[in-house]
Amino acid sequence: MKSDYLLLFRGNVWDRGLSPAQLQKVVSDWMAWFERLKDEGKCLGGHPLEDAGKVISGKQGRTIADGPFAESKEAIGGYFYLQVADEKEAIEIAKQCPGLEYGSVVEVRPVAEICSVKQRAEEYSQLAGATA
Amino acid sequence: MNNDTTTGEYMLLFRGPHWDKGLSPEDLQAAMDKVMAWFEELNERGKIKASQPLGAQGRIISGTNGRLVVDGPFAESKEAVGGYLVLLADDLNEAVEIARSMPTLKYGITVEVRPILAECPIFQRHPDLVQRAKERAVQADQLWAAVAA
Repeated sequence: MKSDYLLLFRGNVWDRGLSPAQLQKVVSDWMAWFERLKDEGKCLGGHPLEDAGKVISGKQGRTIADGPFAESKEAIGGYFYLQVADEKEAIEIAKQCPGLEYGSVVEVRPVAEICSVKQRAEEYSQLAGATA
Repeated sequence: MNNDTTTGEYMLLFRGPHWDKGLSPEDLQAAMDKVMAWFEELNERGKIKASQPLGAQGRIISGTNGRLVVDGPFAESKEAVGGYLVLLADDLNEAVEIARSMPTLKYGITVEVRPILAECPIFQRHPDLVQRAKERAVQADQLWAAVAA
């Protein structure tokens, strides 16, 4: 039984200030890491995200802001979709991320079967059914 | 026509997974019905490549060799990503228009819309390094092939 996890790579300017040699190594290591995980069938896909983008909020999405993604340590710069045995394996893979030593941060999140809000809504309606 | 992405895909990140707090069961049911109808309609139009919710538990890994592993404080944060949708759209404008029609915006969620790229911007800033890395990978493959033969 395999479980799905999303790795979210946070921080998108960690290449600043690296020497050409360091950059060369991290670029090579990252490409090799991604290829190996794909070959092993543990990574089903992954993409970088563009620094440009929009953040939408408010009723009927009336507020549209340009995302301040470019300079942020929190900003999500890309993702991998993992299919692995368990959380332990997902964390072990995350720890291999070549950007970590330069300040990149990896968020490991299990992909859920069902939305937590939907689950709460269903529990409500079951409760309502039981008391009706 | 795609001007701002090379893949025609946009990542919608839904932030603030506790928008249902304080809603009555009836209001919550009505909101969920609208959300499901929203997904159905987009799906029928062929706009959704993938979409899933994320579990509230998770870990944040940082530091050299990932020596720091902490539990993520995702549950109560308005910033937390509760789910995602990979949207197929003509351009950023269409992606934003679709994001604006998400029914739960009125309950306080935010939607981040990001073009999905074919190649990492960090790599793009250093094309010569990428080229060299690829050449080395090819050389390594050839070496392995020679060893195997």
